[in-house]
Amino acid sequence: MNWQRVWAMIRKDVIEFTKSKYVMSAIIGMPLLFAIIFPLTAIMPIAKIDPAEFESADFGQFINNLFSKAVSNWSSLDPQAQTLVMLAYSMFIVVLMLPIIIPAVTASETVVGEKERKTMEAVLASPMSESEIVLSKIISSFLPSVIGTLIAAIGYIVITDIIVYPFIGQLLFPDLISMVLVFIFSPMVSIISVELMIMISTRVTSVRDAYQLGSLIVLPLIMLVVAEMFGLLFQSTITMIAGIAILAVIIFILFKITANIFDRERALVKMV
Amino acid sequence: MLAVETHQLTKDYETKDTFLRAVNNLNLKIEEAEIYSLLGPNGAGKTTSVRLLTGLLRPSEGGASVLGLDIVKNAQEIRGKVGLLTETPAIYERLTVRQNLEFIARLYNVPKKDIRHRIEEIIDLFDISEKIDLPAGSLSKGMKQKLAIARAMLHDPPVIFLDEPTASLAPESAKIVRDQILKLAKTEKRTFFICTHNLFEAERLSSRIGIINHGSLIAQGTPSELRELKKDETTTLFRFDQWSKEIKDYFETNKLEIVEMDTERKIISVIIPKIEQDTPGIIKELIHQNHSIVEVKHEFPTLEKIYLELVESESVPRENHEEEES
Repeated sequence: MNWQRVWAMIRKDVIEFTKSKYVMSAIIGMPLLFAIIFPLTAIMPIAKIDPAEFESADFGQFINNLFSKAVSNWSSLDPQAQTLVMLAYSMFIVVLMLPIIIPAVTASETVVGEKERKTMEAVLASPMSESEIVLSKIISSFLPSVIGTLIAAIGYIVITDIIVYPFIGQLLFPDLISMVLVFIFSPMVSIISVELMIMISTRVTSVRDAYQLGSLIVLPLIMLVVAEMFGLLFQSTITMIAGIAILAVIIFILFKITANIFDRERALVKMV
Repeated sequence: MLAVETHQLTKDYETKDTFLRAVNNLNLKIEEAEIYSLLGPNGAGKTTSVRLLTGLLRPSEGGASVLGLDIVKNAQEIRGKVGLLTETPAIYERLTVRQNLEFIARLYNVPKKDIRHRIEEIIDLFDISEKIDLPAGSLSKGMKQKLAIARAMLHDPPVIFLDEPTASLAPESAKIVRDQILKLAKTEKRTFFICTHNLFEAERLSSRIGIINHGSLIAQGTPSELRELKKDETTTLFRFDQWSKEIKDYFETNKLEIVEMDTERKIISVIIPKIEQDTPGIIKELIHQNHSIVEVKHEFPTLEKIYLELVESESVPRENHEEEES
């Protein structure tokens, strides 16, 4: 693996992203929107409602079990505060979907975009190996999604805590689960999403086709994030570590498959 | 060592419904520091040949080597050692000229300390230094082409493949490119493999020319060797001080084909089958008949004429294929 070539490609792709309004709106605009709009439009209205309007509510055993792990004084919270906590967590799931959604834009732009603009031949004609091309495209598609997710997560956490703190008397975020989700689980799912998108991108000739196929592929990943958020996947530290290890193996296998199916001749002839 | 050598190099494109032999048993031997031009109409197989030789496509049959390296086994190494100007300039329009060149320099492992110097050198060479910090997308078509050529030569490759290098260039820019090609071949022993349908350019630049049609090489040689192929079509022009009907009668009596006759300009062009042997005798006889000859000159068939005749004689319908070539 020649890292100078890999970084050259990443650097080039990142410069190209910064000069594309479309890509930048996905990388920066979408996370900002998620970070600000969701807390203000979904959580804030609940906080503004008169507590008297909240009758005694029974959220059921499942919900009580789930949130009593995340919020120590859950059972002593009034229904309005409990609703706020549930909403804050639910909206956080959407933020965590960003690393799956953003690669649909960046990966298709960096692979199919090169095909569409006929610049791919120069890359194919270079001494880069198939693995180097695939790896550089994965990293350059992945980095913006991680940056975007961090922006969104930090913004979301700050705004949500400001709204929710007066109701629950403690900071809802950051907690261990959210941090594992933001810094480990969601980047790993993002890499899987990027790899799948690049697999698709090597087989299609237009960005539109890549989006359409990509949107189908990210659905199972979104379900994975939702399942984890509700504590359905990682019940303990051991299952969490095992889950992360499984994701790492999937990432490695998908990389090998993507590098193997990336065929210069096919990419070139399909491009023409 | 030969710069490029091919043996029965063949490339087929096959789909469920179509079959196309894009390159058919191509045999080439190109010396180092040679400028070789491959001429041919659209879809003749020029671009496919270049893609095979630069390790972008795998041959269906036969083989080839570039700088002694096998195009299949050593494809990656070949790609690092050759420069390629693709059919479309393939430049990154959102990047500046400098960023485009820096990217390529890094891809081709130009040492970090040399990148700046090498970029300055190459942009001066192709007269694009004023545009260095402009987005490549803002350049004119000709400037983009010059940037693409500069990019192909940035890493100092010993063998350079150029697909239609001057296609979109203004005459003065085309001349700069041609001069650089000639200079690099002569002073730095670079080998150039040029695909073109610009006959003037091929003749001006090339030490040898190959003519390809329907994937097969139909003629090859130096420009003068190619002219020899149609030597029997060389015409001889006679210009006289005074015109008389006897002049025409003389050529007709001797069964020499008259190609052109202009009594006002007092000229006649004829085809003399044994041109070198018979021309002095004809001159002698015309003088003997009291015709005052002002000028005699042989007019060799142009490369364009040779090319067109060769290509037309080989024109058989081609099977359909989705790939378009220039």
